Amino acid sequence: MGILEGIGQGFSVALDPTNLLYVFIGVLIGTVIGVLPGLGPTATIALLLPITYEIEPVTAVILLAGIYYGSMYGGTITSVLLQLPGEAASVVTTFDGYQMAKQGRAGPALGIAAIGSWVGGTVSVIGLVLLAPPLADLAVEFGSQEYVALTALGILLVTYLGTRHPVKSLSMAALGLLLATVGQDLITGTNRFTFGSISLFDGFDFVAVAMGLFGVGEILYNVEKTEKAQALKSKISNIWPSRKDLRDSSGAIARGSVMGFFIGVLPGGGGVISSLASYATEKRRAKDPTRFGKGAIEGVAGPETANNASSTSAFIPLLTLGIPPNVVLALIFGALLIQGITPGPQLIDQQPEIFWGVIASMAIGNLMLLILNIPLVGFFVQLLRVRAGILAAFALLVTMAGVFSVNNDIFDMWVVLVFGVIGWLMKKTGFEPGPLVLAFVLGAILESNFRRSMLISGGEFSTFFTRPMSGTLFALMALVIIWSTVQGIRRRRRRSRPSTPGEEDLAATGTTAEPEGTPGAENTDDTEGATTGAPRDGSGSTGATGSTASGAQDGGPGPDRG
Amino acid sequence: MTKQLHRLAPLILVLLGVAGMLGARSLGLGELNAPGPGLWPFIVAMLLTGTGIVLLFIDDPEDYEPWTRGTLGIALGLASLAVFIVLFETIGFLVSAILMLLFWLRIFAREPWRWAVPLAVLGALAFHLVFVEALAVPFPDGIVFAPVGS
Repeated sequence: MGILEGIGQGFSVALDPTNLLYVFIGVLIGTVIGVLPGLGPTATIALLLPITYEIEPVTAVILLAGIYYGSMYGGTITSVLLQLPGEAASVVTTFDGYQMAKQGRAGPALGIAAIGSWVGGTVSVIGLVLLAPPLADLAVEFGSQEYVALTALGILLVTYLGTRHPVKSLSMAALGLLLATVGQDLITGTNRFTFGSISLFDGFDFVAVAMGLFGVGEILYNVEKTEKAQALKSKISNIWPSRKDLRDSSGAIARGSVMGFFIGVLPGGGGVISSLASYATEKRRAKDPTRFGKGAIEGVAGPETANNASSTSAFIPLLTLGIPPNVVLALIFGALLIQGITPGPQLIDQQPEIFWGVIASMAIGNLMLLILNIPLVGFFVQLLRVRAGILAAFALLVTMAGVFSVNNDIFDMWVVLVFGVIGWLMKKTGFEPGPLVLAFVLGAILESNFRRSMLISGGEFSTFFTRPMSGTLFALMALVIIWSTVQGIRRRRRRSRPSTPGEEDLAATGTTAEPEGTPGAENTDDTEGATTGAPRDGSGSTGATGSTASGAQDGGPGPDRG
Repeated sequence: MTKQLHRLAPLILVLLGVAGMLGARSLGLGELNAPGPGLWPFIVAMLLTGTGIVLLFIDDPEDYEPWTRGTLGIALGLASLAVFIVLFETIGFLVSAILMLLFWLRIFAREPWRWAVPLAVLGALAFHLVFVEALAVPFPDGIVFAPVGS
């Protein structure tokens, strides 16, 4: 099918009234939870997984994708106005966005972020259209060895990029892979690790695991550090950026689009890393880098463009290779598996309505966000009045009722509760649930391809290294491991910080790569608290309370955690 | 002793890994050219054990957050969720949901009664409408709406 024909089909799917409604619901929910600090996109998508049973596969993905990129817009609002990033990818926006707000330029900051996000999202959609079909054609040639290599690389990169502690994440990935083996062995029919329980016969339910780890685990963790509701005092006027603002930020938006697009495609990439990388680039390129951190509009435009571009392009590996590049996409992958659809190279040919429909819905969704955001900023900010405790109570009830509705099975509720406890304990002990869930989703694919490769090759491990594609991928993996080990040893020597792309530059400002899709409320560092000078308008005082509150919750800034 | 407490988490992982390896071996590893059901779990459990051992030595104690009084509250919250599941199974959704919401709104959100009660009742009713009436989820028979549903 040609690209034009595909786009035509995509829009006919996406413009279907039901799908149009779900794009709207998705981006609206996304914006709302982006604003609310307690809930990140991961938790929300996990909580809403049961709903996806009730609707068509393409509609489900449209909804979940809308939540993901919608949250990128929503997170901006609180970052700029209150210095409270609603989700992790907006942390960098607090540096300059909040300073702009203090100078009475909250409107242009939000306006340029919305415009940049729209440009980034649109550029990324175009890139997706151009890049995905040839990539899928290439992937059709892949054998099981390549799948082993690709899946393993995906898991490895997710554990190395965007997490604070690679070894801990790797051990969580191993745990996820082990949990995925529970249940009946698909090839021999042997029951593995079921301990005689019939409920475990089919293994752990993905929805229950994800809802427990992300939903319940995250809610419990946030309840423990109860947050004060924030009140906004500053008025937002003049949201449309001036011609000078647009000229100043056009370069940042262009670079952010391209950078975000490519980082999003990488496994382990996503909104968080791309926004960090864009900020670092803009600061390095600027004629006067000292303006950054004091309200430079490029520092808002670049990262906001990049995080939105990457949240769109992250769909490329999922839709063409069947490899989710980050945790949010892993959840969407799981949602598709539930519907009996395995995303992969065949998706474009066999289910073109899903591939093209989702792409077209993104173009529409981004436009909706632009239209929604500019007039409704004031309304979204009011959402912050919802107290965290109330939110937690209702979210937990939705989780419990929702997970029951999947299989109508009480056992799944207990699974959610147990994994909720595990997720909360993991948060408390610095282990991240992301790699576990990603590995859990990919476990079955990895195992079956591994066993098939072993069968085909007659038990030779060398089969993974002699084929050109899988050999290259394994060489890449070896490089990642060696590089990070060297970095780790150096770090232990210097007691310095972990190094992710662009992080060196951000060391001064005090940011680490938070895992994709987490709510960002706890990541504001107290470094900015120090810069809070005499408030020029009402927003200054709220910001001061915001940063001290978050500093107290966090028990110190993130950077020192190796 | 308390200084070594943070090594508990990696230790649990190592134990899990070793248990996984033993369990996988008893499932039958098979041969490399004809992998048995236990081969893959064995490899994965080996990875878990290996990373766990590394963590026993290099893990940063600063990653571990202290246990506070808030932690005790969470234990209480978890117990309340367990109670909710049991109640849900025996007396149905509506009443258990009201009780659970009431508990959370009062204890964790510290809402005054005049907010907590209407929120809990209306919230539970709304969820009942969404899940039972709109989505037709067969919740266990309740003690309030049971005659209507059956």
